[in-house]
Amino acid sequence: MQVPILKQGNVLIACIQAALSDKDLIRLRDDLADRVGQFRSSGVVIDVSALDVLDSFATRTLRGIAQMTKLRGAETVIVGVQPAVAMAMVQLGLTLDDVLTALDLDEGLALVAARNAEAGARLRDRHDG
Amino acid sequence: MAEPQLAPQTHRLPLTVQDVERRKRIVGLGPDDLARIASIKSTVTEGADQFGTVFFDYLRSLDGTASLFKNTAALDEARRLKREHILAMVGGDYGVSYVKQRVLLGALYSKVGLDVLVFLGAFHHLMKVIGSEVMRRHAAADPMNVFESFMSFKKVAFFDIGIIVDVLIDERERTISLQQEAIREISTPALQLRDRLLVMPIIGLIDTQRAKQLTDSMLHAIRANRAKVVVMDITGVAAVDSKVANHLLQTIAAARLMGATAIVTGLSAEVAQSLVALGVDLSRVNTVGDLQGGLEAAERLLGYKVVQLEQAASPIDAV
Repeated sequence: MQVPILKQGNVLIACIQAALSDKDLIRLRDDLADRVGQFRSSGVVIDVSALDVLDSFATRTLRGIAQMTKLRGAETVIVGVQPAVAMAMVQLGLTLDDVLTALDLDEGLALVAARNAEAGARLRDRHDG
Repeated sequence: MAEPQLAPQTHRLPLTVQDVERRKRIVGLGPDDLARIASIKSTVTEGADQFGTVFFDYLRSLDGTASLFKNTAALDEARRLKREHILAMVGGDYGVSYVKQRVLLGALYSKVGLDVLVFLGAFHHLMKVIGSEVMRRHAAADPMNVFESFMSFKKVAFFDIGIIVDVLIDERERTISLQQEAIREISTPALQLRDRLLVMPIIGLIDTQRAKQLTDSMLHAIRANRAKVVVMDITGVAAVDSKVANHLLQTIAAARLMGATAIVTGLSAEVAQSLVALGVDLSRVNTVGDLQGGLEAAERLLGYKVVQLEQAASPIDAV
C-alpha cells in the first residue's frame, strides 16, 4: 500500500494508514527523499498513529528517513506513537534517540516550525558574527 | 469488621505426616517417651485447670499482653484451647490432629498480638509450675525416674513451641506480604498541573510489575492530557538501584517516543551517590534536585513565566 505524501506549505506530511510491508517502507523512504528535494521542503512529519506495531525494520527505516531528510535540509518528526507501541518499542530497545517525536500532527507541525525558526536564527547569528 | 476465620490463615504451614515426624525427630520425641509421659499423666490431668490459670496469670503480669485481656472472647477461647493443650500434652498422641490444635492456638495468639518472647516466658513459667508439681508428688519414690519422665514431657513442650513459634512467624510474614501488596496497589496518579504539564509523584517500591504499570498510566495520561512535559518526582522512592534506574530510563524513553519530555526530580544525595557508584548513565535524563526546581524547569520549557504580584491578595479578597 502506498503512503500518500501531502504537501502543506513547506512541510511534507506522510500519513501511514495501515501496517506497511518492508517494501512499502522502502518506497516511502525513497519517495520522501525525492520530494524533499523536489519541493524544497524544510520539514517532514510522519504520522504513525494508525499503527499498532512498529518493528525494528520500520524503526530503522524511520531513523534512516530522518537522517536522510536532514542531509537534504529538512527536519523529520515522528508523530502519533500510541502508548502501547511506545511501551513495546522501549522494551525492544528501539528508542529512536536521535529522531524528533511529537504527540500528534499539530504538535509535529509546530515542532518543525520552531526548529526552522531556531535554525534560521542560528544562521543569522553566524552571518552577523 | 468481622474477625477472619482461624482455619484459612493456617494453610501455609505444611501439616503433613512427614512434617510432623520431622518435628518429632528434631526434638527427639520417640516411643520411649510416651511411656514415661504416661507415668506422670494423672498429675498433669488433675492439675490442668490450675496450670491453665497459672499460665494466664503469668501472662497478665507481663507487659504487652493487654490486648489479649481486653478481648474477652479471644481470652475465653485461648483459655479453652490452653486447657485442651495441657491435657493433650500428656495424651500420648502427637500426630497431625495434635499439631492442628496447636496451630489454632498459635493463630489465636497471633491474632491478639502476643509477642514470641512473652509467649516463651509464660510457657516456661507453666513448665516450671508443672515440673514442681510433678516432683512434689513423685520425687519421693524415684527421683531419677521422675526426672526422666519430666524431660520426656519437656520434649513435647518444645515440640509445641516449635509449632506455635512457626505460626507466629508465619502470621507476621503474612502481614508483611499483605502490606507490601497494599503498597504496590497504590496507583501512581498523573496530575495535570498546568495545561500540557503533568506531575507524577512516585512513592514506594518500584519493581518490574509496577514500573510497567507506571509507564502505562503515564503514557495514557500523556495522550489524554496532551502533555508535553512530565515531571516525575521520586522523593518517595526509598531505594534506587540499577534496576529501578533502568525502569525509569525506559519510562522516559517511552514518553519521548510520544513527544513528551520527562523531568526527574527528588533525587536525594544518597540516591545520586548510589547511582553514580552503580555507574548508571543518567546523563541523557533531565534531572532537577527537587520538585519545585522541576516544575520551574517544566514551566520554562512550556514558555510559562510565573510572576509574583507586588501586593499579595489577602485571604478575604481572594474569596
